[in-house]
Amino acid sequence: AEPSAPESKHKSSLNSSPWSGLMALGNSRHGHHGPGAQCAHKAAGGAAPPKPAPAGLSGGLSQPAGWQSLLSFTILFLAWLAGFSSRLFAVIRFESIIHEFDPWFNYRSTHHLASHGFYEFLNWFDERAWYPLGRIVGGTVYPGLMITAGLIHWILNTLNITVHIRDVCVFLAPTFSGLTSISTFLLTRELWNQGAGLLAACFIAIVPGYISRSVAGSFDNEGIAIFALQFTYYLWVKSVKTGSVFWTMCCCLSYFYMVSAWGGYVFIINLIPLHVFVLLLMQRYSKRVYIAYSTFYIVGLILSMQIPFVGFQPIRTSEHMAAAGVFALLQAYAFLQYLRDRLTKQEFQTLFFLGVSLAAGAVFLSVIYLTYTGYIAPWSGRFYSLWDTGYAKIHIPIIASVSEHQPTTWVSFFFDLHILVCTFPAGLWFCIKNINDERVFVALYAISAVYFAGVMVRLMLTLTPVVCMLSAIAFSNVFEHYLGDDMKRENPPVEDSSDEDDKRNQGNLYDKAGKVRKHATEQEKTEEGLGPNIKSIVTMLMLMLLMMFAVHCTWVTSNAYSSPSVVLASYNHDGTRNILDDFREAYFWLRQNTDEHARVMSWWDYGYQIAGMANRTTLVDNNTWNNSHIALVGKAMSSNETAAYKIMRTLDVDYVLVIFGGVIGYSGDDINKFLWMVRIAEGEHPKDIRESDYFTPQGEFRVDKAGSPTLLNCLMYKMSYYRFGEMQLDFRTPPGFDRTRNAEIGNKDIKFKHLEEAFTSEHWLVRIYKVKAPDNRETLDHKPRVTNIFPKQKYLSKKTTKRKRGYIKNKLVFKKGKKISKKTV
Amino acid sequence: QKKKENLLAEKVEQLMEWSSRRSIFRMNGDKFRKFIKAPPRNYSMIVMFTALQPQRQCSVCRQANEEYQILANSWRYSSAFCNKLFFSMVDYDEGTDVFQQLNMNSAPTFMHFPPKGRPKRADTFDLQRIGFAAEQLAKWIADRTDVHIRVFRPPNYSGTIALALLVSLVGGLLYLRRNNLEFIYNKTGWAMVSLCIVFAMTSGQMWNHIRGPPYAHKNPHNGQVSYIHGSSQAQFVAESHIILVLNAAITMGMVLLNEAATSKGDVGKRRIICLVGLGLVVFFFSFLLSIFRSKYHGYPYSDLDFE
Repeated sequence: AEPSAPESKHKSSLNSSPWSGLMALGNSRHGHHGPGAQCAHKAAGGAAPPKPAPAGLSGGLSQPAGWQSLLSFTILFLAWLAGFSSRLFAVIRFESIIHEFDPWFNYRSTHHLASHGFYEFLNWFDERAWYPLGRIVGGTVYPGLMITAGLIHWILNTLNITVHIRDVCVFLAPTFSGLTSISTFLLTRELWNQGAGLLAACFIAIVPGYISRSVAGSFDNEGIAIFALQFTYYLWVKSVKTGSVFWTMCCCLSYFYMVSAWGGYVFIINLIPLHVFVLLLMQRYSKRVYIAYSTFYIVGLILSMQIPFVGFQPIRTSEHMAAAGVFALLQAYAFLQYLRDRLTKQEFQTLFFLGVSLAAGAVFLSVIYLTYTGYIAPWSGRFYSLWDTGYAKIHIPIIASVSEHQPTTWVSFFFDLHILVCTFPAGLWFCIKNINDERVFVALYAISAVYFAGVMVRLMLTLTPVVCMLSAIAFSNVFEHYLGDDMKRENPPVEDSSDEDDKRNQGNLYDKAGKVRKHATEQEKTEEGLGPNIKSIVTMLMLMLLMMFAVHCTWVTSNAYSSPSVVLASYNHDGTRNILDDFREAYFWLRQNTDEHARVMSWWDYGYQIAGMANRTTLVDNNTWNNSHIALVGKAMSSNETAAYKIMRTLDVDYVLVIFGGVIGYSGDDINKFLWMVRIAEGEHPKDIRESDYFTPQGEFRVDKAGSPTLLNCLMYKMSYYRFGEMQLDFRTPPGFDRTRNAEIGNKDIKFKHLEEAFTSEHWLVRIYKVKAPDNRETLDHKPRVTNIFPKQKYLSKKTTKRKRGYIKNKLVFKKGKKISKKTV
Repeated sequence: QKKKENLLAEKVEQLMEWSSRRSIFRMNGDKFRKFIKAPPRNYSMIVMFTALQPQRQCSVCRQANEEYQILANSWRYSSAFCNKLFFSMVDYDEGTDVFQQLNMNSAPTFMHFPPKGRPKRADTFDLQRIGFAAEQLAKWIADRTDVHIRVFRPPNYSGTIALALLVSLVGGLLYLRRNNLEFIYNKTGWAMVSLCIVFAMTSGQMWNHIRGPPYAHKNPHNGQVSYIHGSSQAQFVAESHIILVLNAAITMGMVLLNEAATSKGDVGKRRIICLVGLGLVVFFFSFLLSIFRSKYHGYPYSDLDFE
C-alpha cells in the first residue's frame, strides 16, 4: 500500500478533462428517454440554439417531439458541463489533489483496491491505523465509492487510456454531479413536468449545497451517494406510478448501490416506508403501492445485507424497524382489502378497525419487546441525537466536537441555497395543493429533509436535491404562465432580447429551460391575458433573480468550497498569491526521514492524512470508532510532559505531530481544538484530567500569562509554543505573539526533557517532535547520597604569594545592631 | 477518645434520622457549625447555599433547588444509600451568619465538605461553567467523594399529560365531527402546516432551540438595540423571526404570481395581484440579500445591481 504523495504537476488537470468529457457524452443519453406527452407547437425561430447535435438524433428533427428531446438533451448536457466545470476551481487554482481529511482515506483504500484487487481489498486489515489495534478496513467501510472509482480506472486502463487512479478519484465527484442532475431531471419530470425537470437539473448542477461535497478532489461518499439517492427516489416514484415489478427491481438495485456507498441510505429506508404509511392513511392504497413496497422491502433488505459493513443491521437495529413495521402493516391492510370483497359493509368496518389496530399494536409491541430483550439494538447515539437535540452534547462529546454536526443558522441555508430557500416552499405549496401519490412523497421528503438540515449542517446535503426540485416547480410554474404569449401573438421582443443577454452571461441555463415551457404551453391560451408588458416584466425579473443565483453559486463555489485545505493560499495586498504548502512539506519529511514503521501520534483530525501522505502508522484517525483510544491520546496531549511521556511510552509513540497556526494566523490549529481534547480525555479519565483546570479562575481560556498553569505546562501547549517566545514576527508586537489568538504567550521558556524537536515546517504550521528513548542510565533527579563522611575536597589554603595574611575560618562577624548570625563568611 | 466516638455516633444517628424523614435537611447557623464545621466527622456533606425566600426573587435558586432535590432523592432511594454522604441546604434567611462566615456572596452555591480537612477549591461546584443539571452534580460528587449516584428523574408527566390531552382533544373533535370529516382533506390546511415547519427550519429556529441565543442585543453604552447579529456564525431570536417573515413573504409572492395567472377573474384585479406578488418577491428578496450582506462580510453582490 503505497499511495503516492501528490506531486505538484499542474498539467494533470489538463490531462484528465478529455475523458471526463467523454464520460459526460456517453452517459447523458439517459436524458432523452421519452419526452413528456405534451406535444409542442411549431418551434419558434431561434429556439434551438445552434448546438452540436449528436448524429443519432437527427432523424427526429423534423417532428416537434424531436426538437423537444434535442433541446432537453442539450440542456442536460450543458447542465452537466456547467456542473462539471464549476467544480474545477480547486484543480485549476492548485492542482489535481485529494482534499481535506476523509477523502485521503478513501483515496488510500481505492489505491489499495486498484493495486491489490477486489478480494484483497475486502479482506484488508490495515495495521497502519489505530496502532496497536489495527483496523479491518474491508468490513468497516462503505465500499461503493472505492469500487466505483476502481472500476472506472480498470475500464479506462483496459481501453488503454492510462490515467492515474488519483485523477479518477479527483474527477469522480464532478462527473457524478452530472448524473445527479440527470436523475433529478427524471424525478422532477415524474413529479411535475419536463420543464420543471430541466430547471431542477440546472439548479442542482450548480447549487452550492451540493457542490460543497462534490468539488473535484473531494473524493467522498456523498459525491456519489446523492446521485444514488436521487436515482433510487426516481425509480421508487416510477414503480409506485406503474406498479411494475421491473421498475421496483431497478429501484432495489439502485438502493443496493446507495447502501454500498453511504450510511445515509437509512434516510431512504425510512422515507419510503413513511411514504407508504402516509398513503395508507390518506386511503390512497392501491395494488401498485402494494407491489412496489413488498418487492422493494424484501429484495432491498436482502441486497442491503450483502454489504459487509451493514451485515445484519437491517434486521437488528431500530433504525430499520419502521420499514419492517410498515411492511407488516401493508400486508394486513392488503389482506383486509381482500376480505372487503367477501364481507358486508358493516362486518367489514368493525373487522377493519379491529384488524388494523391489532396489526399496528402487535408490530409496535413486538418491536419494543425485541428491543428490550436485546434482539434489536436501540437507536445509535448518532441517530438519537437527531431527535433529542441536546443528547450528543452531554453524552457523546466526540460527535458534538465535529463542526459539521452543529445546528444550522439561516445564514448557512441562504449561503448554500440562495433564492431556492425562499422559493421552494412555494413549490411545496403547489405540490400539496395538487396532490397525488408521488407528490405525497416529495412533500414528505421536503419536510423530513428540512428538519434534519436544521439539526445538522451536514445534512444540508440531503435537503439540497429536494429544494432544487421544488424550486424548479415554483419557477417553472411562473414561467409557464408568463413566458408563453397569450392571444397567439408573437413574442414580445423584450423577452427575446433578455434571453439573448442571458445567453451571453452566465445564466444561459435558465432561458433554455424557460423556452421549453414556452413551447409546451404556447397552445394553451387564456381568454384574457395579463398583457405582454406585465408578463415581460415578470419574466425579466425572474430571470434576473435566477441570474443572481447563478452568480452567487459561482462566487460561493469559488470562494468557500474550492479550497483543498491541504494546501493553503494567502493573498497579498497586490493580489498575488502565496501558497502555504506546509502540510505536504511535513508529511513528506515524515515519509523521507523516519523509519518505515515509525508511529506518529497526532490528534485524530490528521490521522488519515498522515496515513495517506506520509505512509506512517497512526494511533487515531478520522474514523472515530474507538473513543477510549482517542481519549488516551487526548490525555497525553493535555497532561504535563512527564505524565504524557509515560502514556506515549506505553503506546510506543515515536513522533508527535501538532498543528500550530500562531505564526500565520491559521485558526484551525490544535490549540483551538484543545478544549475538545481535554473534554474527550475527561470523559474517560475524570480523575486525571479536569476541564476546569485549563481555565482561568474567571472561566476563560487564555494562552497568555494569565492562563492557568496547567494549560501553560501541558504537552500540547509546550509543543505548540516551543521556542516561539524567541520569535518576533512583527515590530509592533512583542516576541512570542500568537497571531491566531492575538496574545503574547505566557510561557516562553519551554524546555523538553523527553522530547526533542524534529521538524518544523516553513510557516511553523506543522511541528513534529521525536520522543526520546529512555536513557541507558537514568539520571537522578536528586543529588546522590553522600557516603563519604570526610569532605572530598581538601582544604586549599588561599594564601598566595600576594595575600600573605592569614584568616580564621568561620569567623563570626559582628555588626552593630544586629543579632549574631553563624554565617560563614 | 471515647467521647469523640460517642459524639460522632450521635451525630451520624441524628443525621440518619433526619435523612429518613426527608432527603435534604435544612441547616441553620448552629446546626451548620455542629454537623458540618465541627471536626469529628466520617461523612461527606453536600451543602447547597441558596436563597429560596420569595422576596429574594432568585429564580435560578428555584431551578437549582429542583435539580438538587432530584439528585438527593435519587441518592435517598437508591440501593447504595449509606451514611457516608448527606445532602443539606442553608437558606440565606435562616443562616445569614453562615454566609458571612464563609465569605459567600452569591447564591446558589454548592459545596462539598469532606470527612477530613477543610474544603478545597475544587470542593466548590463550578456552577458558572457546567450548569446545575443533576447529572453534572452527580458527576462532581462522584469525583469528590467516590460515591456514584445514578440520577433517576421522576418521569415528566406534564409532557405526557399534555400529549394525552391533545390526542384526546383531537380525537374528541374528530368524533364530534365524524359526519363531516371534510376538513381533514383540506389541502390548504396541510399545506399551511408543512410550510410552517419549513419556514421554522430554514430560519434557524432549531439553532435557537439548541443554542439559546438572546432575543436581541442591547448595547450597554448607548442603549441601541440591534436585532441582527454581526457575525455569520450566530443569530438572535429576533433575527430568525425577521428571516421567517421574509421567506414567507417571498413564497407568498411566488404563489400570488401563480394565482394571478391562473385564477379566473377580472383582469385588472389579476394585474394588481400579479404586481403585488412580483413586488413581494423582488422587494423582500433584496431586503434578505442586504441582511445577508451585512452579516457575511466580503459578499460582493447586493440587490439587483450585481454587475
